[in-house]
Amino acid sequence: MGAGRKKADIWALVIFAGFAIVVVFLIYPLFDVFKYSFADKETGQASFANWKEFFGRAYYLRAFGHSISVALLTTVFSSLLGIPLAFFTSRYKIKGSNLLSTLSVLALLSPPFIGAYSWITMLGRNGFLRNLFLSVGIRLPQIYGLFGIVLADTLQYYPFISLMLAGSLMTIDRSLEEASENLGARSLRTFFSVTMPLVLPSLTGGALIVFMMSLSNFGTPMIIGGNYLVLPTLAYNLYTSEIAESPGMASTVSIILMLCASVIIVLQQWLSSRRKYASMLVNRPVVKKLKGAKSFFAHLLCYLIVGLSTLPLAVIVFYSFRNTSGPVFTTGFGLTSYKQIFFDVPKTVANSFIYSFIAVVLIAGIGTLIGFTIARKRNLAVRILDPLLMIPYIVPGTVLGIGFIVAFNRKPLYLAGTAAIIIMTYFIRRLPYSVRSAASILKQIDPALEEAGINLGSPPGRTFRTVTLPLMQSGIISGAIMSWVTSMNELSASILLYVGRTMTMPIKIYLSVLDGYFGTASAMSTILLVVTGVAMFVVNRYFNRGSETFIAT
Amino acid sequence: MTSIKINGVEKRFGELAALSDINLEIEKGEFFTLLGPSGCGKTTLLRTIAGFYRQDKGDIYLGDELINDVPAYRRNTGMVFQNYAVFPHMTVFENVAYGLKVRKLPQAEIDKRVAASLKNVHLTGYEARTPDKLSGGQQQRVGLARAMAIEPRVLLFDEPLSNLDAKLRVEMRDEIRSVQKALGITAVYVTHDQEEALVISDRIAVVNFGRIQQVGVPWEIYKNPVNLFVATFVGKINTMEVSLGESRAGGMRMAKNGSVDFLVPEAGTEDLSKAVLAFRPEDVVEVDEGAQVAATLSGTLKIASFLGTVASLEMDVQGTTIVIERHRPRRSDIPDIGQKVEFSVPPEACLLFDAATGARLGRGKA
Repeated sequence: MGAGRKKADIWALVIFAGFAIVVVFLIYPLFDVFKYSFADKETGQASFANWKEFFGRAYYLRAFGHSISVALLTTVFSSLLGIPLAFFTSRYKIKGSNLLSTLSVLALLSPPFIGAYSWITMLGRNGFLRNLFLSVGIRLPQIYGLFGIVLADTLQYYPFISLMLAGSLMTIDRSLEEASENLGARSLRTFFSVTMPLVLPSLTGGALIVFMMSLSNFGTPMIIGGNYLVLPTLAYNLYTSEIAESPGMASTVSIILMLCASVIIVLQQWLSSRRKYASMLVNRPVVKKLKGAKSFFAHLLCYLIVGLSTLPLAVIVFYSFRNTSGPVFTTGFGLTSYKQIFFDVPKTVANSFIYSFIAVVLIAGIGTLIGFTIARKRNLAVRILDPLLMIPYIVPGTVLGIGFIVAFNRKPLYLAGTAAIIIMTYFIRRLPYSVRSAASILKQIDPALEEAGINLGSPPGRTFRTVTLPLMQSGIISGAIMSWVTSMNELSASILLYVGRTMTMPIKIYLSVLDGYFGTASAMSTILLVVTGVAMFVVNRYFNRGSETFIAT
Repeated sequence: MTSIKINGVEKRFGELAALSDINLEIEKGEFFTLLGPSGCGKTTLLRTIAGFYRQDKGDIYLGDELINDVPAYRRNTGMVFQNYAVFPHMTVFENVAYGLKVRKLPQAEIDKRVAASLKNVHLTGYEARTPDKLSGGQQQRVGLARAMAIEPRVLLFDEPLSNLDAKLRVEMRDEIRSVQKALGITAVYVTHDQEEALVISDRIAVVNFGRIQQVGVPWEIYKNPVNLFVATFVGKINTMEVSLGESRAGGMRMAKNGSVDFLVPEAGTEDLSKAVLAFRPEDVVEVDEGAQVAATLSGTLKIASFLGTVASLEMDVQGTTIVIERHRPRRSDIPDIGQKVEFSVPPEACLLFDAATGARLGRGKA
């Protein structure tokens, strides 16, 4: 009995820690954002002045319209690329389909501005593709603005749709389609009346994620948007220009962003709760082999889509090996850009690795413990904590950054300019994913296994250590690796919080691009890409986890 | 090997009374089965013995030891789970050795016991395999070997064969039976499969609605059911509503269903008008003028099934569906559909139940 009591106290401590984290690092900073939004700039009195200004001025409303346009267009184009890719790779024999899915996941996980920056080098004012086309008399459209943002976002986010859809296309029970054909429906009719309705929930699920990601993306519109302001870049601009006064307008824009995100999350929850077609996986669909011209066009289409999304990454890698002299590319290839990084900013590279590592240790450790309480101890406190932990899903990085800098720039918790504040941003942004994933891993472990351990004479603590934990291990580690990758690539919150000595690689890349140092930016982006690729390889190879791990991010 | 004594055990889950007034004495070395439909409480009782649930009332003894407050991991019961619960991250050897390592046995002893357990279940040579390389039947053998290796006081089986295919099920149940007998270990076995229960058990407790309906050897349960639930759950049986009439000479009584009169053995002195008369398909006989019968019935054949050793005929007898069986059937024993079939029910085949409570009338005479 003594052991049981001690254990109960440990879980109580975990739940208390969970609440403390939520209150200090979410509610407290977000409350400040609310406070400033509803306060008059001069007097500090409660007022709707900021809100009146937002809805009264075309400048602000236009940014709102831009955000919605970007998100909608990105969703539409991502579907146009993702649906055929998913269909062909899951139902027909496509040579190298593993390579295709690896490359599209790499595009998905790459830092959120590499694509944008790469498209500038190709189609920007002095881009090599633009010049190439110009030499034969073709004038390509301007890349800066809506076109560029949608292009870069689409080519980064379409894998959400293709991977989720392919996942469900591969797991529908084949007998359902056979039943339809047996009842006299042609294959096209079967596709529209049976297959599509069955996979529709994952298609809409993927589309909502794309919408959400492009809505809250900061890096891409910042680099390629030009004067085309969207809500996250507007909030950032407002914040940096309001720096002397209270961040009232930036806070208001932040709240509007969160409201948009909340609508999407509610839609997503509603959709996923409404219809679930659980499949027993008895009869997996057959992968058909295409012949002749059909096979050729299927391959062409798939490789074209994935090729297009890999192109910006390849260009970056290529540029990183070109010789430079200061900001200018010279002839020939070499490692000058890499040398420059390691001589000039070794601390930046080290910061990225160290901060992400510390954050991930915290994320995996605390996330697993809280995940355990959510999966196995449904008491009142846990039931309150569970939804609170989902708040980061609706807080875009820019908003969290503004909240942090306002709340932690004063006593009692003065963290401004420290490494801790950046680590805590990484931590809080990834914690919900880690909690969710630990809880869902636990739900997949048959409680009978733990009972078997106990029945064979092993006390509960020992059973947790020898049975439960080893079964969770690979899930926890692969989740931690994914958290590490996303933390390494974080820009939108840390750009508001860094000072010179806490600079990280994504921030440095952003600044290098602004200053025109494309060589260093490319070299550093390549390092991030390699890190991402290696992480993916490790997860795939050693933890036997497929694409679903990556899209769970 | 140990006896199990259960005294007045009750268990509630919220509003639901999962177990009510359970009293059982399971003897040393006995193969004892809890039989009942799903949700009847049989698994709850097994898990209460294992210590995964704590009963709200009553006592459980293993041998002379009261185990109410002994945690599950100290009860030394070997459980075999429905979905095998073989540790997927361990080899066959490690699975079977798990309980022995917990007990801190010397390595030589562990090796010896694992080898002996695997031999018992015919898995010698599979030590290094991982569970994902095993079939369902093999995984369940690992589960059995693992439970036996700790030399438990009792073996507990929670529907261990329900995830296996029919052929394997028969094979495994014979194997479980022979291993249990060879080791002389007390076993409590939960199943909803009445045929499995009849074959494997020394004694059976039929459970329904959280209560024990009847305890007895398989023969007793089948031939002398205490109520209509036991009669219909175990084996096939025909039932028809009858009204009981006056007593007749020779301890007989009239029972009337429509225009059919049954002359049945006097079923107690209960003064009942409504009763349920039941007889098993295999107990009917061919019509023989000389023999004493309860009734001779005539029906229209609806379905005839030939099963090799037996032919099963389903017919309509004045609006009631009746099934009879003919053993070692000749071609002429299986008439065409729609034909009239006549048969007699011997008096001793007739069981009578209270139509309201389902209780058996005049039990003990049969």
